[in-house]
Amino acid sequence: MADKNTHDSTNGTAAGSGDGPPVTETDGGTVTQAAQDHRDTNYLDREVNILKPSTPFMREHLKVVWTGFLAWFLIVFGPPTATFLAPDTLSVGMPVLGFPLHYFLIAIGGPTGALLLAFWYSRKRDALDRKYGIHHADEPETTGSEDVAAADGGVDR
Amino acid sequence: MSGLAAVLLQSGLLPEGLNVSFKLLPAIMVVAMLLLFLAIGYVFKVADTEGMWVAGRSIGNVENGMAIGSNWMSAASYLGMAALIATAGVYGLAFVVGWTTGYFILLIFLAAQLRRFGKYTAPDFVGDRFNSDSARAIAAVTTFLIGFVYAIGQARGMGLVGLYIFGDLGVAGFSGYQVMVILMMAVTVGYLTLSGMLGATKNQAVQYVIIIAAFLVGVTVVGWVNGYSTVIPQLEYGMLISELSAEFSEPFQSFDSYYLWIATCFSLIVGTCGLPHVLVRFYTVESERTARWSTVWGLFFICLLYWSAPAMAAFGTDLYSQQVGDVFGDPGMTSAAADVIVVLAAQLSGLPSWLVGLVAAGGIAAAIATVAGLFIAGSSAISHDLYANIINEDATQRQQILVGRLSIVALGVLTTLAALDPAAPIAALVSYAFSLAGAVLFPMFFLGMWWENTNRQGALAGMSTGLILWMVPMVNEVVPAYGFFGGETVLPALATWMPAIGSALVVTPIVFVVTIVVSLVTADPPTHTKRMVRQCHSPEPMGQQQTAEDVVTDGGEPTEDD
Repeated sequence: MADKNTHDSTNGTAAGSGDGPPVTETDGGTVTQAAQDHRDTNYLDREVNILKPSTPFMREHLKVVWTGFLAWFLIVFGPPTATFLAPDTLSVGMPVLGFPLHYFLIAIGGPTGALLLAFWYSRKRDALDRKYGIHHADEPETTGSEDVAAADGGVDR
Repeated sequence: MSGLAAVLLQSGLLPEGLNVSFKLLPAIMVVAMLLLFLAIGYVFKVADTEGMWVAGRSIGNVENGMAIGSNWMSAASYLGMAALIATAGVYGLAFVVGWTTGYFILLIFLAAQLRRFGKYTAPDFVGDRFNSDSARAIAAVTTFLIGFVYAIGQARGMGLVGLYIFGDLGVAGFSGYQVMVILMMAVTVGYLTLSGMLGATKNQAVQYVIIIAAFLVGVTVVGWVNGYSTVIPQLEYGMLISELSAEFSEPFQSFDSYYLWIATCFSLIVGTCGLPHVLVRFYTVESERTARWSTVWGLFFICLLYWSAPAMAAFGTDLYSQQVGDVFGDPGMTSAAADVIVVLAAQLSGLPSWLVGLVAAGGIAAAIATVAGLFIAGSSAISHDLYANIINEDATQRQQILVGRLSIVALGVLTTLAALDPAAPIAALVSYAFSLAGAVLFPMFFLGMWWENTNRQGALAGMSTGLILWMVPMVNEVVPAYGFFGGETVLPALATWMPAIGSALVVTPIVFVVTIVVSLVTADPPTHTKRMVRQCHSPEPMGQQQTAEDVVTDGGEPTEDD
C-alpha cells in the first residue's frame, strides 16, 4: 500500500526525530498503539454516554468536542453579555474599521469564530481518524501528505 | 375571499418607497430563472423513493455545502435579517449569530452521527431510535408544522419582491402582493412535485450561486455608487455606523432587551440543530467525513451572506432616511418596507433596473430553495413516515411518491393561504419554526444520539411537553396578531419571559429534563437499540448505502478496516 512508501520516505526525510523509526518499525510500520486499541475495541459493546466516554477514541473525540464547545460558548454569548454589563466600555469606536466594538464582536466575531472553529474541529477529527488508523472511502487525493502527518502522529506517541 | 376583506387584510403590505410597477428586463430575468429551475427539476426528475428523499446518497463535499447554504439561506436570511438589523439594531444581530454559529453545534454533536444512522427523514430517526410509531407520528406532524410555519415567511418574501418586478397585476379580489404570493408558490410547488430531492439538490447548488452572486454584487455596487465602500463592504460599513441614528448600533439598554437577544439567539441555534430540512442534508452525502466537511463548506458559504447582510442593512438605512423618511421612531419604516430593504437599497441607489432585478431575483431564489428543502422534508414526513410506515405498510413506491406529491401540494396551498395575511415580519415568522424545532426535535436527536438509555417513554413525554409548551406563546402572542381576537397579547408578562420568537430558551431545557427523568424511571431501551446508537458513534467506516441498523442487524460485526 501507499502507506509503506510514504512511511519510509518520512522516516528518511524526518530523520531528525531520532526515536521515530524504531517505534514505528516495531508496530509493523503502520499500526500505532491507538490504532491497535481501536482494532481491539468492539464499539457495539461500549456504552454511549456523552458524560462517560467508554472507549479511548470517544474519550479523545469528546475532549475535542468539549474544548470546541467551550470556545463556541464564549464567542457566541460572551460579547452580548459583556455589552450588557459594560455598554459604555464596549461601544467605543474601533480604530481603522470604525465599528463600535460590541457591534463588530457580535456581527463579525460570531459567524467568523464559528467558521474557524468548524474548520479546526474537522481538522482535529481527521487527525484523530488517522491516529486510529481509520480510512474513509472518500479521502481526498492528497493521501500522500496526509499519511506523512499520520506517521508523524505515530512518532509522537 | 371577498374583495373588501382582501383590501382590509393587506393594507399594511405595500412597502413604501418601493417602485411597484412592471419592469421588462427584471421580469425576463426572473422568468428565465424560474424556467431554469423547472428544467433542472425535470432533467433530474425521480421515480424512486431513494432519489426522492435522499438523492441516492451521492452528494459530495462542496455540492452538499452549497445545498446546505441555499437550503439554509431563505428569504429570512436574504431579506428578513437585513430588515431586522435595519429596524431593530443590535437585536437583529441575534439572527446573524444564531443562524451561523448553530452549525458548529450541529457539526460537533450531530452531523457525522446522523450520516451513520443513515435513514431517510428526521421522523425516521425518532421512530426507529425510540421504537415507537407514536413518536414517529409526533415527529412527522412537527416536521409538517415546521415546513408550514417556516414557509409562510418565505412566501411573504417572494410576494413582496415579486411586487417590485411584476408590479400590481390587479387580479380581481386580490391585492398585487397576494397575486404574487400565489404565483410564486405555484411555480415552487410545480417544480418540487416533479423533481424531488435529487432535483432539489441539483437546483440548490445553482440557486446558491444565484443567491450569493446577487447579494454580493448588490452590496458591493450599492456601497460603491454611494461612496460608502470600495471592495470590502462587509468591513467598510463600520465607518458608516457612527453616522446612522443611534438606534442602529446602541448597546443593550435594559435587561429585557439583553434577555430577548439571548433567548432569540439560543432558539435559533437549537432550532438549526433540530430543523428536519437541515438534518436531512446529512443523509444525502457519501460518507460521514463528507458530512463533516460539507458542514464546514456550508457554514463558509452561509457566512458570505451573513457578513454582507448587516452592511446592506446599514446602506439601506442610510439611503432610506435620506430619500424616503425616518427609519426609527413613529411612524418609522413599516415592516413591509423593511422586509425589502435589500431591494430598496439597490433601487434607492439609482441602479439600472436590471441590476435591482438581479438582487430581487436572488431573494426569490433564496425563498424557493428553502421552500424546496422544507416541503421535501414535510412531504417525506407525511408520505414516508405517516403513510408508508404507519397507515399503509404495504405501500408501493408509486403510492408513496403520489402521497409525497399530494402533500407538497397540500403544504403549498396551506402556506399560500396563511401568507396572504402574514402576522409578522419574515424573520419573526421563520423564528417560530426554529423555536418549534429546537423544542421538540433537537432534544430527541441530541439525547437519542448521545445517551443510549434515552427510551421510548422519555421521548414521548419530552416531545409532547415540547409541543404543548411551544404552543403557549404562539396562542399568547401570535394567533391574536392575526386579527380575529382583537390583536392584543393575552398575557404580556408571559410574553416577556417566554417570547414566541425565542421560547426555546425556556422550553428546550425543560424538555431535556423531562426526557431524562422519564427515561431514568422507566425501563432501559432494548439492546438492539443501544447497539444502533453505539454504531452511530463507532469510528469504523461504513458503506455508502449502509445504515447503523444494517450493521447491527448483520450480526454486529463491524466492517473490517483495510
